[in-house]
Amino acid sequence: MRILGILLALAGWLLPLAALSMTQSTGARFGACVLGIIISLVGILGVLNGFHQADAIWKKG
Amino acid sequence: MKFWERTNRYLWMSVAMLLVCGLAAFAQAPAAAPPAQAVAAPTSAQATPAPAAAAPAMDVPLDIKAAAPPSADDLAKGDPGGTKTGTVSDVVAADTKKGLTLADVVNQAGQNRIAINFVWTLIAGFLVMFMQAGFALVETGLTRAKNANHTMMMNFMVYGFGLFAFWVCGFAIQMGGGAPYSTLGGITGLNGEYSISVFGKPFGLWGTHGFFLSHGGAYDVGAMVMFLFQMVFMDTALTIVTGTCAERWKFAAFAVSSVFMGAITYPLYANWAWGGGWLAQLGSNYGLGHGYADFAGSGVVHSVGGLTALAIGMQIGPRIGKYTRSGKANALPGHDIVLVLTGCFILAFGWFGFNPGSTLAASGNGALRIASIAVNTMLAGCTGSFGAILYMWMRYGKPDASMAGNGLLAGLVAITAPSGFVSTIGAAIIGLVAGVLVAVSVEFFDRVARVDDCVGAISVHGTCGLWGVISVGLFADGTSNYGGSWNGVNGSVTGLFYGDASQLVAQFIGVGTLVGFVFTLSYVAGWIIDGIIGHRVSASDELAGLDIPEMGALCYPDFVLKPEREIVPAMAAGD
Repeated sequence: MRILGILLALAGWLLPLAALSMTQSTGARFGACVLGIIISLVGILGVLNGFHQADAIWKKG
Repeated sequence: MKFWERTNRYLWMSVAMLLVCGLAAFAQAPAAAPPAQAVAAPTSAQATPAPAAAAPAMDVPLDIKAAAPPSADDLAKGDPGGTKTGTVSDVVAADTKKGLTLADVVNQAGQNRIAINFVWTLIAGFLVMFMQAGFALVETGLTRAKNANHTMMMNFMVYGFGLFAFWVCGFAIQMGGGAPYSTLGGITGLNGEYSISVFGKPFGLWGTHGFFLSHGGAYDVGAMVMFLFQMVFMDTALTIVTGTCAERWKFAAFAVSSVFMGAITYPLYANWAWGGGWLAQLGSNYGLGHGYADFAGSGVVHSVGGLTALAIGMQIGPRIGKYTRSGKANALPGHDIVLVLTGCFILAFGWFGFNPGSTLAASGNGALRIASIAVNTMLAGCTGSFGAILYMWMRYGKPDASMAGNGLLAGLVAITAPSGFVSTIGAAIIGLVAGVLVAVSVEFFDRVARVDDCVGAISVHGTCGLWGVISVGLFADGTSNYGGSWNGVNGSVTGLFYGDASQLVAQFIGVGTLVGFVFTLSYVAGWIIDGIIGHRVSASDELAGLDIPEMGALCYPDFVLKPEREIVPAMAAGD
């Protein structure tokens, strides 16, 4: 899960970079940025944080 | 050459006036001493009027009597009105036997401009350095008394760890390829940027000159000014992490983590944004506004710090007693609100170095905008605290003091990137939004994500830093003029609300890089450090407080501290 979260975070960063050369449209580039940020946040707050919360200290009692 | 191209209009006006005065003085002087150039000129040239007659004779001694310097008798009487101090008599002649020439005057004007910028930038850097004391007070006040020594020591030593790492390689990576830095005299030695080609465009990745402030022409007075100013910025980013991870972070892990951040993480992103790297080139390479614009570091400093805090905070886990077994958050209040709010005031004071100082100039290149930047800074801090206490008042019935402090800081963090590009109206809105945003963000991380952040640093610096970066792309009004261009693109930075949507895209690419790359780099580095050293202290040390186990001495040895069970009721008793 850790690796998946890291890969998602990185993929979200690379998406708008790839869009830079694929389109000249400001709207399309903006859309790629927003989508990329969402993917990164899912990787960080969803997957990575979920991994750490699974064995959080407060669950151990 | 670039230096002269960018020399400000005031300097040229001064030079022009001096030329006129010099020529007038020359015209009134006896003709007995012809200029050397005329002696060397061919006879035919003397016979016909030269079209370049306006060109000044730079090495001709000036008749300084025309400037009417005060006499020795006048000076002996003192100068209570300040009208006789600083005259032509104070302009230094290169050759005292020859006397003062126009070249001396022009050189003095140029050096004075750079000297003004040096002094301004250094003093601003000193103010930013003092912010370390503010952070130390805020973080120590917001943590429990049993950890005060440990928290204070992290804030104290992060200065040294970061400084050392930045001197060794951080500065070179960040600024080693961005020359010329025209406001500080060029610093042309710092011109080695390692770039790769991506889709046929150059992507600057890191600087290669300036290691140990010795390599590649970095032994330079301008480079020293730049180093001092950039170093205190970097240290601000480092100290953000200590707030989130306080009360449970091993001092050794903190030390290694801070050195890595000062040497690699921070300088890398700062190079991309400020050192001529690929984010700064988004405008010239891809037509995205003026490239990523982050005037004083909402992204470079605060988001980098906030996201690194999130990365390590997730790995280190919440403090014992922060959550019940069902996941409900407990409040673990700090021990001294006086420290917290005093620290916030110190930080607000230091921010006047942070933002206005980021012009790296007080003379020329539109640097007089420092006045607007300072006012924007204070306004956003003010509306930030308004936003935060209004939110808390409406939601919980009381204007929470620590959130008022965090609201002030949130406004200041958010205005850091746009401070040089927006109007006062924009600044007030940006601060107000940040004030509300920080309160919402603290609740999110506390209750939904369950990332324990002792001081709210992830929200103040991470969340509001990202908002600051975005706000440049919305509120930049196109009136700033820092030498006629920004990041190599002519004109002024202009946001969506003033007609340039592409600037917002550049800002979002910066946000994506912070979230996707900087967080990941910090997370992986933290993971490695956790595997080698371990981030977290033992549970018994944490319950006892870290002052004795980690530091060997209590911060308040004469105080009687409450037993842990009285402060943290839920852990043993369930809900």
